[in-house]
Amino acid sequence: MFALQLALSGLAQGAIYALVALSMCVVYRATTVVNFGHGDLVMAGAFVVYVLVVLAGLPFLASAVLAVALLFLLGVLIEIGLIERIKAGPHIGFALMCIGFGYVLRGIARGVWGREVLPMPTVFDFPPVIAGDLVVTADALIIFAAVGVLLALFFVLFYRSSAGRVMQAVCQSERGAALVGINVRAFHGVMWGAGAALGAVGGVLIAPLTLLHPGLGASFLIKGFAAMTLGGFGSLGGAVAGGLLLGLAEQWVGGYVSTKLIDVTAYLVIILVLALRPNGLFGRAVAERV
Amino acid sequence: MRFYILPLAALAIPLVANPYTQFMVNLMLVYVLVAVGFNLVLGNLGQLAFANTALFGIGAYSAAMLMAHAGWPFWLVIVPAGLAGAAAGFLASVTALRGIRVYYLAIVTLAFGELLRWSYIHGERATGGTDGLAVPNSHFFGIALDSETARFYVFLLIVTVLVKAVSNLLQSKIGRAIVAIRDNELATASLAIPTGRYIVLAFTLSGFVVGIAGSLFAVLIGRVIPESFGLIELILHFAMVLVGGLGSLLGSVLGAVALTALPEFFRRFPGLYEMFFGGLLIVFLLVQPRGLSALAARWWQPLRDRYYREH
Repeated sequence: MFALQLALSGLAQGAIYALVALSMCVVYRATTVVNFGHGDLVMAGAFVVYVLVVLAGLPFLASAVLAVALLFLLGVLIEIGLIERIKAGPHIGFALMCIGFGYVLRGIARGVWGREVLPMPTVFDFPPVIAGDLVVTADALIIFAAVGVLLALFFVLFYRSSAGRVMQAVCQSERGAALVGINVRAFHGVMWGAGAALGAVGGVLIAPLTLLHPGLGASFLIKGFAAMTLGGFGSLGGAVAGGLLLGLAEQWVGGYVSTKLIDVTAYLVIILVLALRPNGLFGRAVAERV
Repeated sequence: MRFYILPLAALAIPLVANPYTQFMVNLMLVYVLVAVGFNLVLGNLGQLAFANTALFGIGAYSAAMLMAHAGWPFWLVIVPAGLAGAAAGFLASVTALRGIRVYYLAIVTLAFGELLRWSYIHGERATGGTDGLAVPNSHFFGIALDSETARFYVFLLIVTVLVKAVSNLLQSKIGRAIVAIRDNELATASLAIPTGRYIVLAFTLSGFVVGIAGSLFAVLIGRVIPESFGLIELILHFAMVLVGGLGSLLGSVLGAVALTALPEFFRRFPGLYEMFFGGLLIVFLLVQPRGLSALAARWWQPLRDRYYREH
């Protein structure tokens, strides 16, 4: 029973990691840039919701939509204003640029809110669902529902719609896509926006459940990476599975070994997976073409 | 010979500095080593890495632990601190031998660095946990390190020797192989150079230099705490190498000297520090991606970097 109870909270946590990992994956697949500032975009989503709910007094749903829209805009702006401009430079420049804007976001959050840790008022005041000995909190249910709907929507959009086929085309070959008349530059901007917005949804969902502080972004970044490496870097479905697995692993390690080790789980997952199975748990080795 | 002009001129600094500015100059010397060491990986090898604060930290912690727990004098802990840093650099990058590269390797170093920092916090008995570890007064072959001036001369000697060593390294076969891997790994491998091993070697050597910087830092500050080696510190290291000029030895020295004193200004305004250094990274990437050293070379030709090719 204990294991099952842990699994439930692990899956709820893992659903958020899955969302974060998927949003990182979207940007990586679409633009081959690994966004080392992505955690801070998630953090920014959470903070915008906090500001709108607590300081501006808006209802939660409206603030959530506004926050996601704002982060979409921010993502597009980052792509156009920062990433696109250094396209000609070495690849390491992209990573440093992402680190740079990540720190700027973190600094803004710290500057506005100071050093304290912010609790958000409870948003969903529903009683938990009790099934036998199992207790499922309403928060967990809402996260499951929200993440589930979003993922379904995303995968249908990506694999079934004509817009999704355009996305897949650009992911496979930028030049080829440009030759058949797809606007690759606009596509990159939109994908950055979509990645930031998806990440922000993760932030929005986690905001009512956790204490907010500007350092949140760094931990999201590492957990997102851990989920991505577990699922095989760059695989969209793998990122989701990896996120859920990571959530489970964290709760089980915390419950059976020591709660001190919860944070370390992600680090160990990254190191062990890349050392032992570099293509992820489900990945097959890809023959490199030379 | 030209190399020694700067350190020789620096010998005169204690004549004009008060204890506070002398402390800042000493801190600059520490960061010169940090930047020069980090640059080996970030600039010369061209590999993104996040473990630099961890290497800095493990050097500082091993020095502090040997001095506080085992009672060793400072001169005896310098090499062990470097070796601890080298070992950490090796471990952080050893997956390169399994073909892990670029982003994947960067992520491994990120995880490894955070893992080390976690162990400083939770290894209370050895590291003092979040309270940190006090570093006792010590000496360098009989020279008491109890004043900023004494520390300055000792630091200047160590830093000069190590920067010269790195400069020689870059001109050696190893250094050229490292730079060649950055420019084109496939072409380098086709010359029968084992690129994976050279990547690990670059990280190990970088760890050695940065580890020694950590031991100097421990003696200078007098206390090592986990917070000194976190993400706040990391952006400073990135900024120094990038602002100085990726891949340029002179640039790392310039970057360290230019930025060391700045964090003091921002201490009173939370958040401004991260905004400033994050913004600095963005501005330099957009406007002056080759850093201060390229500016200096434009102004005076002999400073031109001989080991960096324009792409």
